[in-house]
Amino acid sequence: TAGNRIFHFGACRVSMSMTEIRAGFTAIKANIQARDPIRTLSILSYPHSLHKVKSSDRCCITHHLFNFYVDRVFKHCKTEDSYVNRKISSIANSFLSVRRKLRQCNEHNQCMCGQESTEKFKQILANYEGLNVTSAAMKSLGELDILLDWME
Amino acid sequence: EDALLPAPQNISILSTNMKHFLTWSPVIIQGETVRYSVQFQGEYEREYANESWIPISECSLITGTVCNITEDISATVAYNLRVRADVGPRRSEWGTLKGLFNRVTTSLTPPLMKVIADGYHLLVELEDMGPAFQFRVLYWKKAQERRVQQKVVKEVRSVVHLDTMEAGAEYCVRAQTHVEAINRSSSFSQTQCVRAQGDKSMWL
Repeated sequence: TAGNRIFHFGACRVSMSMTEIRAGFTAIKANIQARDPIRTLSILSYPHSLHKVKSSDRCCITHHLFNFYVDRVFKHCKTEDSYVNRKISSIANSFLSVRRKLRQCNEHNQCMCGQESTEKFKQILANYEGLNVTSAAMKSLGELDILLDWME
Repeated sequence: EDALLPAPQNISILSTNMKHFLTWSPVIIQGETVRYSVQFQGEYEREYANESWIPISECSLITGTVCNITEDISATVAYNLRVRADVGPRRSEWGTLKGLFNRVTTSLTPPLMKVIADGYHLLVELEDMGPAFQFRVLYWKKAQERRVQQKVVKEVRSVVHLDTMEAGAEYCVRAQTHVEAINRSSSFSQTQCVRAQGDKSMWL
């Protein structure tokens, strides 16, 4: 339905309210991206796009990225704008819900990590740690559509 | 010193078909207008954001005792909710919902539907209940209950074509909703039956 999507990563099957997450992000995208002064850098796409990740590594890199956003990004994205904070909360809680399912796949060995996804995620962390934490978090949040587009 | 303003009581949630409302009993202060403010806290805030609370601006300093929290309850996780009262400079403690709320507990009602026989075409009109809903429609020729057919409608259009009917035959339909986000379905609607135009005996 327009509401929910089932994502298949090999044997791992994850149901995700993509419409709700996209609606939450679209509502604040301009606001968040306006807070990101460094337009020349990318957290998720430098040096290579997510699209270069092998399909066998998709589950692992997705799991890594959901951990990344839940554990490291959202908490540094608090703003002075109550509406933006509500939408970030909406996205963060949806990510938490999806991560739980990805974690279950991982526990059932359905989300194996190959060399490529490990390297790719290391690069993303290096990009992230290359900036001060608030700038890095806001940039990562502003790039959420890159992740969502890649997932879809 | 002013008596402390009592915190709102009887805080509860009314949740039907993925629409969620927080309600509470009014705080009565003679001759005064009492205003209320609502905040929520998702599992993310409890676990990763120092148990922070987020205000709902549409329900800040309101005089009513109902708040539509649907837009903020937008993930299938457990939420905490609280309300406090204000009268001028006086402010109450927070009254907090007993227990957490997860939208997975919303009550799902059978869909409103209208079955139409348009000549030989069996059509059904389904209520638009929002993007989270899909519909499972069962239909069969009367007296052939064992040959039930099914159609899953993922996005509501005004009218759904189910089948082409035999002249003069009677067909029955019933439907239920399904919400993928919480992986639950409603009970089935009442069965509705209609008869196709024309009369079989006329052609014998």
